[in-house]
Amino acid sequence: MKAYRIQIMVCTGTGCVSNHAFDIRDALEKEIAKRNLQNETEIVNTGCNGFCGAGPLIVVQPEGIFYQLLKVTDIPHLVEEHFLKGRPVKKLMYTPPKEKTPIPKMSEIPFFADQTLIALRNRGMIDPENIDDYIARGGYKALAKALTSMTPNEIINEIKSSGLRGRGGGGFPTGVKWETCKHAHGDTKYVICNADEGDPGAFMDRSIIEGDPHSVIEGMIIGAYAIENVHQGYIYVRMQYPLAIQRFEIALRQANEYGLLGKNIFDKGFDFDIEIRRGAGAFVCGESTALMASIEGKVGEPRAKYVHTVEKGLWNQPTCLNNVETWANVPQIIIRGAKWFSSIGTGDVSVDAWGGSKGTKVFSLAGKVNNTGLVEVPMGISLRDIIYKIGGGIPRNKKFKAVQTGGPSGGFIPESLLDLPVDYEELSKVGSMMGSGGMLVTDEENCMVDLAKYFLSFTQDESCGKCIPCREGTKRMLDILERITMGEGKEEDLLYLEELSNMVVESSLCALGGSAPNPVLTTLKYFRDEYEIHVKEKKCPAGVCKPLINYVIDENVCIQVGHGCDICRKQCPDNAIMGEIKKSHYIDTKKCGKCGICYDVCKFNAIHIE
Amino acid sequence: MVNVKIDGKEVQVPEETTILKAAEKAGVWIPTMCHNELIEPYGVCRLCSVEVVRGKRSRVVTACNYPVRDGITVNTNSEKIKWIRKIIMELMLSRWPNVKVIKEMAKQLKIEKPRFESFEKDEAEDACILCGMCVNVCKDLVKAEVLGFANRGIAREVVLPFNQKSDKCIVCGACALVCPTGHIKMIVEDYKGKKPEFTLGPKTSIYVPTLQAIPRVPVIDTESCIHFKTEGCENCSKVCEPNAINYKMEDEIVEVDVGQILVSTGYGLFDATLMAQYGYGRYDNVYSSLEFEMLVNSTGPTGGKVVMKNGKEPRAVGIVHCIGSRDTNFHLYCSRVCCMYALKFAHLVHDRTDAAIYQFYIDMRAFGKGYEEFYTRLLDEGITMIRGKAAEIVESNPQNNGQGNLMIRCEDTLIGKFREVPVDMVILCNAIEPQKDANTIRRLFSISKSPDGFFLERHPKLDPTATTTDGVFIAGCAQGPKDIPDTVAQASAAAARILSLISKGEVEIDPIRAMVQDEYCSGCRICNNLCPYGAIDFIVDKKLSHVNEALCKGCGTCVAACPSSAMTGHGFTDAQILAELEGLIS
Repeated sequence: MKAYRIQIMVCTGTGCVSNHAFDIRDALEKEIAKRNLQNETEIVNTGCNGFCGAGPLIVVQPEGIFYQLLKVTDIPHLVEEHFLKGRPVKKLMYTPPKEKTPIPKMSEIPFFADQTLIALRNRGMIDPENIDDYIARGGYKALAKALTSMTPNEIINEIKSSGLRGRGGGGFPTGVKWETCKHAHGDTKYVICNADEGDPGAFMDRSIIEGDPHSVIEGMIIGAYAIENVHQGYIYVRMQYPLAIQRFEIALRQANEYGLLGKNIFDKGFDFDIEIRRGAGAFVCGESTALMASIEGKVGEPRAKYVHTVEKGLWNQPTCLNNVETWANVPQIIIRGAKWFSSIGTGDVSVDAWGGSKGTKVFSLAGKVNNTGLVEVPMGISLRDIIYKIGGGIPRNKKFKAVQTGGPSGGFIPESLLDLPVDYEELSKVGSMMGSGGMLVTDEENCMVDLAKYFLSFTQDESCGKCIPCREGTKRMLDILERITMGEGKEEDLLYLEELSNMVVESSLCALGGSAPNPVLTTLKYFRDEYEIHVKEKKCPAGVCKPLINYVIDENVCIQVGHGCDICRKQCPDNAIMGEIKKSHYIDTKKCGKCGICYDVCKFNAIHIE
Repeated sequence: MVNVKIDGKEVQVPEETTILKAAEKAGVWIPTMCHNELIEPYGVCRLCSVEVVRGKRSRVVTACNYPVRDGITVNTNSEKIKWIRKIIMELMLSRWPNVKVIKEMAKQLKIEKPRFESFEKDEAEDACILCGMCVNVCKDLVKAEVLGFANRGIAREVVLPFNQKSDKCIVCGACALVCPTGHIKMIVEDYKGKKPEFTLGPKTSIYVPTLQAIPRVPVIDTESCIHFKTEGCENCSKVCEPNAINYKMEDEIVEVDVGQILVSTGYGLFDATLMAQYGYGRYDNVYSSLEFEMLVNSTGPTGGKVVMKNGKEPRAVGIVHCIGSRDTNFHLYCSRVCCMYALKFAHLVHDRTDAAIYQFYIDMRAFGKGYEEFYTRLLDEGITMIRGKAAEIVESNPQNNGQGNLMIRCEDTLIGKFREVPVDMVILCNAIEPQKDANTIRRLFSISKSPDGFFLERHPKLDPTATTTDGVFIAGCAQGPKDIPDTVAQASAAAARILSLISKGEVEIDPIRAMVQDEYCSGCRICNNLCPYGAIDFIVDKKLSHVNEALCKGCGTCVAACPSSAMTGHGFTDAQILAELEGLIS
């Protein structure tokens, strides 16, 4: 391998690419060629770096200097100063909010410093389309170790004692699952990687695949070898992840070329191959039985799981299905040992496999938080640390309200519970769940009724409609929530809502219905007063539910501070604002369509919501 | 076997049994809405939710598909389960308020008015309640996989592919059968064909073709059996305990060598649709005689009850004689048996119902032993006999879409007046006519027919059972219309004729017969079709014609026709005759 003086790691995760990361890369190439540095510098396209809120971004190695929010026009200056003259450019570095000194090194930025990387350990470090990069970082060493020096039972015991649990959200102990599948009757068994990440705003799995596809493949090969009689694996990816599919395809081809997949792997007489199956993107196809039905070419609908899929799964054969992140954790456990893995996290898994949460969890941090992006944190870290230390707090000095974990069917956790550790059991105790790792932060400007309605409308829309509680129940709940946000709520609605929610949770066929009411139930539990204000006073305290609010101009501020600037009147699509320049303005509430444009355009905060 | 406790009742069932089945055994009722024995449990209505307690853990599962495990306790009527059922019923009632099965179930579970209101409300009485039974029966049992679900969530609906009529639908009707609300219906569209015989009441693909047959075994109608269309179903073999269902069995042709044959192929029934004035095939309650015979048979579809298509007893029945017989447009002959069976029908209807009975006849021909006495008895029973052939049968209330009564119009020739008789049911006395394939049979055995189409006997008085072909005999209605005693008599006579030949062991044949001189025969086959007795065969491998000596009557037709003079009379070759002549002259 050729050595370079400077390596520029350009993040080409989907987030940065949609922010024109490829233009940045092209500009870099052009400038470097212009200054004749191409023999000293290498540009590497990496997977998602994680700090998506700062994209497009690059990391300059070996120093590890982090440049953020780049524009094509910044590039000539950057190349000139840093790469040619050796003077890092401060104005392109990350500066924490409320501070003035930029932090040059990526590892010192709080967003990165407080993370523990296992599943994402190669992020931003390798070219995901190059297997050699992965091998150089110790890739496939775990596979070699597992196949040449461990028996299948030893591998399963290692996974069991590591305490690894399903990262798709269920939290089923992975080792126990493998063992049951191994002992299930069946000549042909299958392993499946569930990459049908469907939670809106969650992109953990996608980033792992886009950034480090081989870690997933390696995990699957080890799993197949440990379970035995497995010769075929499937990766179920949604069509909406074209880059992930492409990276998987490349990775599978390369692994095949290197003899890591196919016949007689490592001369151990072990045959295994992986196929990609593309899903159309239905949310319910992330449910294991629906996913398997979809792979079989049937309608993606769940079935009752009284007989588990490890016994009768794909084509009625024993099938071991794990999430992308779970598979990606496997090689590291094999290499570094169960002891190391179980030293991270909460509880004790040596007696009860459900006794604790071990290792790390990847979350996609989104919503009202300064540093949005992908974070991998050790289990047991408090939600407060994630939001305030890694996430950098709430923007614009607003007040924190609640955090939702676990995607659209997760519950909202209020401020009083912010010191809760990230742990499967702890999160479900308060009505939420680990889920696959969505984490949505809300502030005082979010209406909890409206949010509950929003998430329920998603799950209601994605319900397959097979069973009555989910199909009819969620729709009736949504009707009630819509009524409340329209100001037509009745007092008994809250009781109905609670009763319906509990019934849907109890009697739905699959976990989609079983968890869909979580946002409603938790908001009813922790923010009941907000519902009551909606119903009784017909007001929305957060100012979100349009039928319940009015925009009002403070005439004093308007005339004294803004001097009647008249911008709002010009922008109003309903011609609801009366007044003229240099005179005070007021809003005719009868005409007002409550679009909120005036509120956004007023530079003097003269408009407020009542 | 595992032990389960359901609502406090201990029950022992085999492993893998569902809770629903175990509860049935324990005598515990669990409500279901999407369950049918024919299909795999689908578990979507969730009404059968029950609480399963295992150790300290309790969970709600669906009884229809949860396999019992040893030592579990099942509660089917706890407060929680009642609450779940209540809300589910409320959700169903709010969406489908007028569907009968839902209303009944709600009543049974004591739920009156739903608390919720549905924006998707469907007030039809036969609304689709998305139970999925039709889709599953089509997929699991029929294996046609025509029906499916479209859309998701609240917009879910049962559809045909692309909402078009599907060629893959085998019109088996299974979906309509399992549909609990009647949303799926079977409609007969553009049916123009002839109404087939013997289709009274529902008929399945497995049926006993002739009830009096020995052995009385059912057969599978491969034309309508689901299995022969899709390879699915096989429900019959699942329930047949002796395992007697064989789908691979095929029709066989068995060849038997015999010396003599008795042709008794019976008769066909005159197709009354040809006489449109009687409304057969158009009106529901106009029956042919054989259909009615089937209806009053105690093994028939109604168990012998005389009822109309709508299940009600008729108030008046008309029996119309001479349909197609004694009619210059169809058959000139008299069918001989109709008068008597018409009287029998009248007697049976009188016996089983309170209906008024009318007979419309041309002449009453009660000629047999005890027949006239039966006729007199019926007159005493109060049957109305109207002399005059019915002119037409019309609906008396045509506005009511075929549901009205019928009206028989005729001229009563005894009182010389035109009459209109309102009736609920009409029985037509169809003429007996030769079987449709009579001509094929006739050619096969080289026998003749009389002008009416029935097989011709050798001599009407002196040899009424033999035919012009030696060794071929006829009996019964194949020879001409006759009743059962006459048929039996004729058949017995024929049997005796056959036996007399068998007991002799050999047949005498006339010495005068034709023979083929093989060395001259060119194999032209002219003689084969000319022979009136069917006595000449063609031997394919030798390419020669051959005379069956037992059949040849020595008529000489073939001798005259043979172009190469290969055919000669046996003992009468040209050389022999010439030699005889020479002998005479010399």
